[in-house]
Amino acid sequence: MSTAAVEAPVLALAPEPQPAPYWTRRRIAIGLFTLWVLSGVYLVKPDQQAVVTMFGKVVEPRVLPGLHYAWPWPIESVAKLKVQQLQRLVVGGDLPDSVLGRSNPLTSQFISGDQNIINMRVVVQYSVGVPADYLFRLQDVAKGVGVAVEAEMARRIAHRPVDAVLTTEKAAIQEEVRAAAQKRLNDYQTGVQLSTINIESVTPPPEAADSFRDVASARADAERVVNEAQGYSNDLIPKSRGEAQQMKEVAEAFKQRKINEATGDAARFTQVAAEYEKAAQVTGERLYMETMEQILPKIKKLIVDKNGNLDLTIIRKGDPAAAKK
Amino acid sequence: MLERYRKYYPAAGVVAGLILIYLTFFQVRETEFVLITQFGRPLYTVTDAGLNVKCPWWSSTYFDKRLRIYNPRPSEFLTRDKKNLVIESYVAWKIEDPIRFVQTVGDATAAEMRLHDIIWSGLSAELGAHDLESIISTVAEKTQTAQMLDTLSDATDRAALQQYGIKVIDVRVKRLNLPEQNKQSVYARMRAERERIAKQYRAEGEEQALSIRADADRQREEILSVAYKEAEKTKGEGDAESTKIYGQAYSKNPKLYKLLRTLDSYKKVIDDKTTAILSSDSELLKVLTRGQGGAQ
Repeated sequence: MSTAAVEAPVLALAPEPQPAPYWTRRRIAIGLFTLWVLSGVYLVKPDQQAVVTMFGKVVEPRVLPGLHYAWPWPIESVAKLKVQQLQRLVVGGDLPDSVLGRSNPLTSQFISGDQNIINMRVVVQYSVGVPADYLFRLQDVAKGVGVAVEAEMARRIAHRPVDAVLTTEKAAIQEEVRAAAQKRLNDYQTGVQLSTINIESVTPPPEAADSFRDVASARADAERVVNEAQGYSNDLIPKSRGEAQQMKEVAEAFKQRKINEATGDAARFTQVAAEYEKAAQVTGERLYMETMEQILPKIKKLIVDKNGNLDLTIIRKGDPAAAKK
Repeated sequence: MLERYRKYYPAAGVVAGLILIYLTFFQVRETEFVLITQFGRPLYTVTDAGLNVKCPWWSSTYFDKRLRIYNPRPSEFLTRDKKNLVIESYVAWKIEDPIRFVQTVGDATAAEMRLHDIIWSGLSAELGAHDLESIISTVAEKTQTAQMLDTLSDATDRAALQQYGIKVIDVRVKRLNLPEQNKQSVYARMRAERERIAKQYRAEGEEQALSIRADADRQREEILSVAYKEAEKTKGEGDAESTKIYGQAYSKNPKLYKLLRTLDSYKKVIDDKTTAILSSDSELLKVLTRGQGGAQ
């Protein structure tokens, strides 16, 4: 102000007889005021939301993306937040101790319902849910999220057996913890929206890790033994069925052969019998003779008289054989 | 003499006005309480954010009214059944009554020390009244951690608000652990437990495998014996059928059958090693020995 007061006479005393100068004090003032008013225009980008406060009091708790206007400083101020950006937080895990340069074991150990110690590392992802609460309600948002999640996690794990935590109920725990921690954060009015709770690693302590691995391999062993037995069974039973079928087929073949042979023999006999009846005596003798003709050439013959005595020693010269008739 | 400075009067007036505005108006942000004092004596507290007015000679002190998280150091407690437990808790608190707060504790660090004392004694009382099983148990219904902590939060809140003007929103246990000196025995127990489970898995696998094999063997016996039964039955049918056919055919002329069958048998029974002693009186040789008359 004082400088303007000093300069003004200088301008007024200028000797040139110019018409009214363009940059008058009034115009400069209007120009500056206009600039000040225009500086209240602000842009909220698509991934942002803004909170507007007037003299510290929230007047617009949630401004959506777009071009907006707020009274410039010092009346109103605009805080923009990337609401969709996920923030990552690690709970537990062996974060190195910055002073001593070693990991702090307490930070990652949890105790299960059956009093087993397990090491866990949980990753929390969260975003801004209610911008005004997020900005003004909690001193250290990340710390608040961390402790809320950790407390719920500790409680859930203290109610479950270690095997459930290590294997089947991981997903259930994650979901339960997310719901419970979200409720707690809502109670604290933190404006935080938890997006995921992820149990990144859950391991037994190194002191007992071998035994836990052995249980895993025992489970695999048991599975292998059962599979082998199943394989044996799968091999044996179809083979047995095949053998059974084979036995049945052989029996069926035997039956058919028997019947066919009998039918054939019967047919042959019936035909011969028909002819035989026409000349029974002659045919009988012919058949007898024909048979003898076939048999007798092949064998040794001794012919004895009906009334003669037989010296059996002659038989010894040839093979011992039983004499027929 | 004053005439000489007359031209500075307007400027001096503006400066004085600005100072007056600065002293009179004050801004309260959403995160703050403002305590108004007159020469150190508290007058009133402004809790709502926005632009406010006060007398220029009053002064204002700002307090953070946001929620704070305080982590007391982990400490060891004894349960009713004399088990040691290391508990790490956190407290969510905020300043509720700035006048009392500034009169009794003054700043956050001092407040946290007081909170630590309240919570430590509260926790040790609560734990001393409960068995370990009501905190750590596989049966969720048995555990009373939530009720315990609710009680503790309420008690802490009552004490802290009255004494220090602090509002305690929540006291929670964020980590349960066992004391270092107990851990080795816990690890040993964990190992023994695992070994037992491993043995059980292996034995159960063996059991299942044996039963599968036995079942397969039994099925094989069953399949084969049923097949044998059916095969023999089929063969019997074949035998019966053929016997029937032979019987029907041969019974038409038993005499011829006997003749043919006998002659057939001769062909099979008598081979080249046979010696036949033939009577000259036989049917074949009668003619040979007796001449034509033998043919009669």
